[in-house]
Amino acid sequence: MIRIIKTPIIFLLFSTLLYSQDYSFSVSKIPENLTSNANSVIRFQDISIEIQAQDKMIFKVKTAVTVLNKLGDQHKYISVDFDKNQKIKEIKTLVYDAFGNEIEKVKSKEYEEVSAVDGSTLYGDSKVLYYRYVPTVYPYTIYSEYEIETINTGFVPDWRPISSYLTAVESSTYNLVSAEGLKVRFKEKNFEDYTIEKETSETSLSFKIENIPAIKREPYSPRLAEITPVLITGLYKFNLEGIKGEAANWSEFGKWQYDYLKAGNDHLLASTKMEVSKLVEGINDPIEKAKIIYKYVQDRTRYISVQVGIGGWMPIPADVVHRLGYGDCKGLTNYTKTLLDAVGIESYYTVIWAGDNSKDIDKDFFSMQGNHIILNLPTEKEDIWLECTNQKVPFGYLGDFTDDRDALVITPNGGIIKHTQRYAPEDNYQHTKGSFEIDANGTIKAQVKINSKGTQYMDNLLRNDGESQQELENLFKEYLSYINNIKFSKIEVFNNREAMAFEEEIEFSATNYATTSGSEMLIPINAFNRNSAIPNRVRNRKLPFEISHGYVDVDEIEITLPSTLQVVYVPENKLIESDYGEYIVEVSKIDEYNYLYKRTIRIEEGKHPKEDYDLYRTFRKNIRKYDNSKIVLKSK
Amino acid sequence: MKKVLFTLILALVANSLMAQDYKFGKVSKEELEEQFYAKDSSANAVILYKNRKTDFRYMQGEGFQVITEVHERIKIYNSEGYDWATKEIDLYQSSSGSGREEVAGLKAVTYNLEGGKVLKSNLEKNEIFKDEKNKYWIEEKFTMPNLKEGCIVEWKYKINSPFRSIEDVQFQYAIPVKKMNIKIETPEYFVYKKRSKGYFRAYPKVEKKHEKITINTKNRSSGDIVRTTYSSSSIDYVSTVETYDITDVPALLEEPYVNNIDNYRSMMEYEFSELHWPNEPIEYFSNTWEDVTKTIYRDSDFSDQIYKSNHFEVDLALVLASAKTEAEKITAIFELIKHKIKWNDYTGITTFNGTKKAYKEGVGNAADINLNLVSMLNSAGFNANPVIISTRSHGIPLYPTLNGFNFVIAAVELEGGLVLLDATDTYSTPNNLPLRDLNWNGRLIRKDGSSESVNLIPTEPSTESVYMMVSFDEEGEATGMYRKSYYNLNAQNYRNKKGKLKDEDIIAKIEAQNSGIEIGDFKIQNKENSYKPLVEMYKFNSESMVDKIGNKIYLNPLLFNATTVNPFKLENREYPIDFGTPISEKNNIVITIPEGYSVVSIPEVLKIGLSNNFGIYTYKVINKGNKIMVQSNLKINTAIFPAQNYQEIKEFYSLIVNKNLEKIVLEKTTTL
Repeated sequence: MIRIIKTPIIFLLFSTLLYSQDYSFSVSKIPENLTSNANSVIRFQDISIEIQAQDKMIFKVKTAVTVLNKLGDQHKYISVDFDKNQKIKEIKTLVYDAFGNEIEKVKSKEYEEVSAVDGSTLYGDSKVLYYRYVPTVYPYTIYSEYEIETINTGFVPDWRPISSYLTAVESSTYNLVSAEGLKVRFKEKNFEDYTIEKETSETSLSFKIENIPAIKREPYSPRLAEITPVLITGLYKFNLEGIKGEAANWSEFGKWQYDYLKAGNDHLLASTKMEVSKLVEGINDPIEKAKIIYKYVQDRTRYISVQVGIGGWMPIPADVVHRLGYGDCKGLTNYTKTLLDAVGIESYYTVIWAGDNSKDIDKDFFSMQGNHIILNLPTEKEDIWLECTNQKVPFGYLGDFTDDRDALVITPNGGIIKHTQRYAPEDNYQHTKGSFEIDANGTIKAQVKINSKGTQYMDNLLRNDGESQQELENLFKEYLSYINNIKFSKIEVFNNREAMAFEEEIEFSATNYATTSGSEMLIPINAFNRNSAIPNRVRNRKLPFEISHGYVDVDEIEITLPSTLQVVYVPENKLIESDYGEYIVEVSKIDEYNYLYKRTIRIEEGKHPKEDYDLYRTFRKNIRKYDNSKIVLKSK
Repeated sequence: MKKVLFTLILALVANSLMAQDYKFGKVSKEELEEQFYAKDSSANAVILYKNRKTDFRYMQGEGFQVITEVHERIKIYNSEGYDWATKEIDLYQSSSGSGREEVAGLKAVTYNLEGGKVLKSNLEKNEIFKDEKNKYWIEEKFTMPNLKEGCIVEWKYKINSPFRSIEDVQFQYAIPVKKMNIKIETPEYFVYKKRSKGYFRAYPKVEKKHEKITINTKNRSSGDIVRTTYSSSSIDYVSTVETYDITDVPALLEEPYVNNIDNYRSMMEYEFSELHWPNEPIEYFSNTWEDVTKTIYRDSDFSDQIYKSNHFEVDLALVLASAKTEAEKITAIFELIKHKIKWNDYTGITTFNGTKKAYKEGVGNAADINLNLVSMLNSAGFNANPVIISTRSHGIPLYPTLNGFNFVIAAVELEGGLVLLDATDTYSTPNNLPLRDLNWNGRLIRKDGSSESVNLIPTEPSTESVYMMVSFDEEGEATGMYRKSYYNLNAQNYRNKKGKLKDEDIIAKIEAQNSGIEIGDFKIQNKENSYKPLVEMYKFNSESMVDKIGNKIYLNPLLFNATTVNPFKLENREYPIDFGTPISEKNNIVITIPEGYSVVSIPEVLKIGLSNNFGIYTYKVINKGNKIMVQSNLKINTAIFPAQNYQEIKEFYSLIVNKNLEKIVLEKTTTL
């Protein structure tokens, strides 16, 4: 559905510059279909980029946003990133009322210059110029324009016209012109369902989208970038912080990265090399060797983020990491790689998008992508992936932070796109085994062991490992929050790296676990793993839904009932099957007062059409219903 | 020569015999070998030693400089304690560029035990980062190299400051402190007011010390022959020396329902209060409440803002024209200010834009807005004054101090009592301040210098009142009507947080909280009218509200409004429980049971109370024919509940929860 308009490129480029003088910011000019369901409307956003040389790029961004109500107030912030190689040449902010009258013109001294580094980073050299408008009345329109000059043509700004929920877009344009000899590459994503005007040549691009109503966020929906248009662009000849490069594909781009990353960063003192060689002496199996090196790195380093040099892309040299005992993902990965080199094991620095919502490095379009570095260790059988910033995880463990996605593996021969390990539902396994006993007063006495693997391993490791006994009590009170009056007599947690499992063992008692009503006693049958959350109801769902990670929980619990009472009812076996997984409960009688409760829940990962969302909710509702089943007893 | 060597060796031996040496670099093997802290085995790290000395040194041409020397030694037992190896030093710079604090002489070392030997790793210059956070604050930051479990980190540095402020002396941290030596020396010219805070108290030993300044002057006589003469004069003065020697301070641990943990952190605050230059009258900064008041009013700005304004005359006349009673007038003025000036989220007891400009442009900080309010109320003939307060995030001001306050609200003195007003919050009403203001006492200050303490906590409880009608069919499916009214702070919070959301988003939230119910016909009354209770109304149905087992139905009398989890889970508590305001929660439910069913049992009545009339709970279920009436009523009559009564309130809630978990049992008696 792409409509190509034959308009001279020059006209398109400069037409955008005329906006600010004649444009009417009056709210009445916004088409009605854009204001319904929206908190704000992007009246126009014009990005124009001029690449003047391999190391000189100027871009201008002009944005006018009408904020319709308080919920659209994220647009009251104007912030522009800069650093020593990316300079703000000009910045202007104006605010208009509903009728389009100017009510505020921001003076240069009203912008604040602050550090753009978040609290988790020790140091970074990027800054942000920042202004916050205080709205006095709604709606208002905030117009900003700024011009940036940078030497980093390795990062050409993308075009993401629909970048936030509940924001409609009246018009958004993207224009790029590049100097002779600097050919432009681009890739369109998710353009199919949208009408986009475009005009492209070897050295120029022009795109325009208009009249897009606001999109509402819905639970379990895919990321906005997966369903709305994204244009990514780049050059064949580029520059990053003064280092020039040239590439035509991932292989060449990877080679270029290999060379600049290596430059002087892979030195180690002879004594360090000796030390690690000694560690692996007599061991032949390369995987065993790598395990020893990995453990060595985990024991003597910690994660500290320092973002300087090559816009934060250059690793701290290996010998420096060795001396300091800290580094960020780049420094620690490069350090591990250099140590592995020293004992004759080949491994590769790997760029990846980290986060629990998996996102691929685009295999068809080479550019500076990713936000994290891991290490790839090729073996005859399979690839092993090493996360070098975590001191606790087992060798080869990734978790949902970096699993199941395309990554760029940087080898001396060039870049290769490889897919990281995927965790199937049965890999994300939690086994709960234990028993509980209820006395005539309704007090529960329980002991249980919980063993988790795969992504569930990480969830429990992050929550519980290394916490004090007091804090563990609080955490398990939270985990079993539906049980009141808990008193723990034992809590032990163990990170079993060898088995890649997190093991927890608890013992507790709690009064009033069972409730009495008249002469009857009710005992919730599922004491340790109740599933109570149901995805929120959505009326008229518009977006498909996605279950990003599947899992399997198996519970096996022995139950002893008070023999002073008479058993009236014990929940029956239950099987629920669906496209999203299954739920099985089996209750077997050992004798009059002893039962075995076995519960299996399996959730499948997958993408589903919006129409099926209610079916998924029904499935979860049923699970919750049977998780709340009760045993009934009464006085003899 | 031999003799000298001998004594030296003796000294060395004597040194190593002592368990601890607090000299920089003298870390012992014993300290490195220690596996855990005996007094608190849960500690991930311990401050072994902290030394701080702050004194004043006279620099020719620059005057007195405040020099603070710091030396810290921290033991890190395990990797969870690694954060203590990162140090941040905040340095102030005046925005005019006239002066800034600077760090000098920074030295830092990590010690590890390797093969029985102490291995030192020094922090290098290029591992120290300087980050300009904004125009006032620079942060110097570093993290120690070569950390291993069991290591010790140690650093020392000096801060040179041209400013008179003395950093508060902090005694308590999130990890235990083993030993601390702190010395504060102040020349007679500068007087500081000290305030002790927190549960762990420490007081200094005070001594006097004679000191001398030598000033060299160069004189040039002009005339036919230019001659330069040098003279030197000296001034004697007395310094006050305060020394704190402290050992074994426990870690400060966070607890839920605590307003601001810093209120309980043990420290000694130093506030500059008097300047005594020789042969000049003493200049007071703050000391007594009168001084504080004077200081604020001496800032002519403050006074002018209130008493010399007429920029709002026309608007004021307009709103007063239709208001008759005093209450109507106050409300009209209050609403006018709220409407005219929007809060820019900045606190402050002095104006940011000035009242006139703020009024004209419609934006201002707390003082801009509420001083306009005071001013307008005065113009309308009321006796209105500012009340300075400290917001919750700012901590508790127990002593006369300017720094203790960060916000200003307005008070009108009427015959019936005070009316407190804060126009920075759109939905606050007279005597119903936003939660951020509800922090112990404020100080009402008058132009004549008099002042008084003002209780900020409202007497009216923050109330939720629910009325529900539900009927069940034979399958146990519920259909019903729900009506919840919010009063006072509850209503204010609702309007601020949920009120701006779209109905469908509020519905989604309610459905998510009470999972199982599906909502229709949703309505909110008085969403914008703060002077009436906010009412939320909807119809609902649910398939999963009851347990249907065989021919019986088990249901919770309070349905999805039952309190089934005790909020107080901790075994013990150190700090008071902060509810913000008194609380009242009422439920009134009418249940219609399905046809063909009869009631087998209902829970019995519960009536319990807390001592000192701090709270009461009543719960009653009554069956009449096919109807069941359920009433519950919880009242907490205090905003702050004392920690020493913690077990009592925990037990109180435990009884409530147990009662709330009891079920009504219905049985099928006839087949239809």
